Amino acid sequence: MSDDPFEAIKVTFFQECSELLGDLETNLLALETGEGDIETINAVFRAVHSVKGGAGAFGLEDLVRFAHVFETLMDELRSGRKECDDVTVKTLLRASDVLADHIAAAQGTGAPVDAARSAGLVAELEVLTHGQATPAVAAAPVVADEDDFGFKPLTLDLADFGAPAELPSLDLPALDLPSLDLPDLAAPSAAALTAGWRIVFRPHPRLYASANDVSLLLRELTRLGQTSVELDASGLPSLEALDAEDAHLIWTIVLTGDVTEAAVRDVFDFVEMDCDLSITALDGGSPSAETALPPLPVLDAAPAEPAFDLAALLAQAKAPVEAAPVAAPAPVAAAPKPVAPAAPAPAAPSPVASAPAAAPSAPAAVAPVTIRVDLDRVDRLINVVGELVIQQAMLAQRVMESGLARSSDIALGLEDLELLTRDIQDSVMAIRAQPVKSVFQRMPRLVREVAEMTGKRVRLVTSGEDTEVDKTVVERLAEPITHMLRNAIDHGLESPEEREAAGKPAEGTVRLAALHRSGRIVIEIADDGKGINRPRVRGIAVDRGLIAEDAVLTDDEVDNLIFLPGFSTAETITDVSGRGVGMDVVRRSIQALGGRISISSNPGKGSTFTLSLPLTLAVLDGMVVSAAGQTLVAPLSAIVESLTPRIEDVHYVGGHDAVIRFREEFVPMVDVGRVMGFRDDATTLTGGVVMIVETEAGSRAALLVDAINGQRQVVIKSLETHYRQVDGVSAATILGDGSVALILDIDALVIAGHRKSNRPELKMAS
Amino acid sequence: MSSLITLPAVLDLRAAEPLKAQILAVRGQEALLDVSAVERLGGLCLQVLLSAIATWRADGQALTFINVSEAFASQWSAFGASAADLAPQGQLA
Repeated sequence: MSDDPFEAIKVTFFQECSELLGDLETNLLALETGEGDIETINAVFRAVHSVKGGAGAFGLEDLVRFAHVFETLMDELRSGRKECDDVTVKTLLRASDVLADHIAAAQGTGAPVDAARSAGLVAELEVLTHGQATPAVAAAPVVADEDDFGFKPLTLDLADFGAPAELPSLDLPALDLPSLDLPDLAAPSAAALTAGWRIVFRPHPRLYASANDVSLLLRELTRLGQTSVELDASGLPSLEALDAEDAHLIWTIVLTGDVTEAAVRDVFDFVEMDCDLSITALDGGSPSAETALPPLPVLDAAPAEPAFDLAALLAQAKAPVEAAPVAAPAPVAAAPKPVAPAAPAPAAPSPVASAPAAAPSAPAAVAPVTIRVDLDRVDRLINVVGELVIQQAMLAQRVMESGLARSSDIALGLEDLELLTRDIQDSVMAIRAQPVKSVFQRMPRLVREVAEMTGKRVRLVTSGEDTEVDKTVVERLAEPITHMLRNAIDHGLESPEEREAAGKPAEGTVRLAALHRSGRIVIEIADDGKGINRPRVRGIAVDRGLIAEDAVLTDDEVDNLIFLPGFSTAETITDVSGRGVGMDVVRRSIQALGGRISISSNPGKGSTFTLSLPLTLAVLDGMVVSAAGQTLVAPLSAIVESLTPRIEDVHYVGGHDAVIRFREEFVPMVDVGRVMGFRDDATTLTGGVVMIVETEAGSRAALLVDAINGQRQVVIKSLETHYRQVDGVSAATILGDGSVALILDIDALVIAGHRKSNRPELKMAS
Repeated sequence: MSSLITLPAVLDLRAAEPLKAQILAVRGQEALLDVSAVERLGGLCLQVLLSAIATWRADGQALTFINVSEAFASQWSAFGASAADLAPQGQLA
């Protein structure tokens, strides 16, 4: 992370943006399927508004402008002035795509925004908002031009520093409101409008520290209506005593125009915890009510104690406002007024700041309390816990070697320690676990765009978004999933006409699912298209010299040929799926994560890609075994059962390929020591142990090892990082005695075992 | 004698402390603040400038903004700060 606090905050902003975009998409999709309600619309509004607010703080003008138009339409929708129909939702979905483009462009991670597309959507949004492409100026004359602040400068009288006890009472020229004449210019139904709002705003130092600035907030207010701003600098100490990062100024803004309290509060949405804020309705008929403000409490000139009792002041200020005769009660006047109990010590969080929380009418879902932590810190913690696990194992081993009785206090204490260590490790790993939702959420857009480009009609159905997996895995999933989805739509699905001709619905379905299966995460991407054209795939593979012409391949093996480097079935290279270099790259990136990818296809019915990945790249429950003098670890999740083979259960196919009878089934045997290359000669069965394992594909194999030494949780150390990838080995670990053990990659081992026995499939018919 | 201080383009959170130190360094002298380069004025630097104005005034010294651009003046008054403070005052050396 950058040392520059501004850059760091910007990074956080973009992180939040990506979460907000996710929420946006989810909620818009809910609206599209008719599952949404007013709270969904509110949530969309909030997401867009949050993006806009943050973007404003960083001066990302293009993003702000686009988000503003978007937000304006959302405001119409949530106020009920506009109906949220199908056309609107579709436009909003496309607008969310462009919003994402603007964010990516602002972040520097994406291409520059397609200006024509953006402008087109702005026009569409405006048509939906106003019924015409240009904003209805007549209806909103008070909305200031973006570059014209429209502030009314007011005279500021600075206090003399020498006389802290004699502070000037607030001079309130702002209340001679020239803008009260506004109703003449604006809407005819002046009686229904509020005269405006009086906003007293005192930022805390935190507001500035988090890269917000009063200037931006003031500017936002000018967008809502006519403002006149009064600055109270009486709390400002002399330059010598001034802490440049402390906050001493108080602003009173009188905002006039037809503005709801919620709109005013929205401006302070990001900073409401970082300021004292009071928003009171102006009563058009009795401006004098406001003049009854009591003198400010005495300020202490010392910067350490800016004793400003805003709450008490507001409590007093509010009383005459309420007592004044109200000629035309504003609709918002019914909104709960901020409660203003006496403020405690200035350092304590102001009760006024928390009051606005009571104002919004719609009950928002209670969000869990979260903190953002630098990933490096989490990883450091995980590493240290990994070392703790190793150390604990080593200690346990030493204790055992010392000959202490298992029931001794030390041994028992050590067992407790082991449980505790395990708890710590699980908890730490949970910090890194994230739902795959963040990746899945990006896919509807992709599907929309690919469908548009290919002229196909596609419905994306996702499931298992909440399946959790390690953050690194989540991040690296996006690219392969993107690629496979593109592939599924571009190559898998037929055109609407072809589909109808085949008796299928014109709209194709692509399913994206995540699930946990045997200690791994499995991602499935299934389409209901035409399936893989096996003769063609085979023909291409032969043409390219990838397989021999007379090779005997199963259907599955033919399907999986598409993962070979350079294999491309697209006769014409499309913009969508690229040049056919993708699938082998996808496979490599999945393998690099310790995962596997396979495809199964049903001609005429569709294809399914299956991706399987480890849940975490940090720890593993393993069975420690030995083979040919080497200590190895087999992932416990793959092991079904262990047994001592009986000589009569073992049979040989073709004289050398051993299979073992296991629960009325013949299972091929894999001699681990031999397949791994630790020895050349075959093991004699006597004295060995067999572990029945299940592969990803669900087939079983019997791994023959010399002995099983016990079950243990091991810390995974990448072999690739320290050495290189080794076939049949997924990683390494350090055992309690300090020795290094290899962790077996069961599937690769079983395949290697088949290869060694020179038989692609071993299905015994007894 | 008077001291000339040229203010940077961006007067944000990060600029506040250096600005304070820069101005404070010429305490007791007439100060000329050249704001021609200022593009962005934030609340914290506004505080520093307002405090400097008041401090210089209390000292009976002149503190003058020079080369006040329209952009600076409009940001200044957008804060509700007095435009009179931007006007030449005291005696130029």
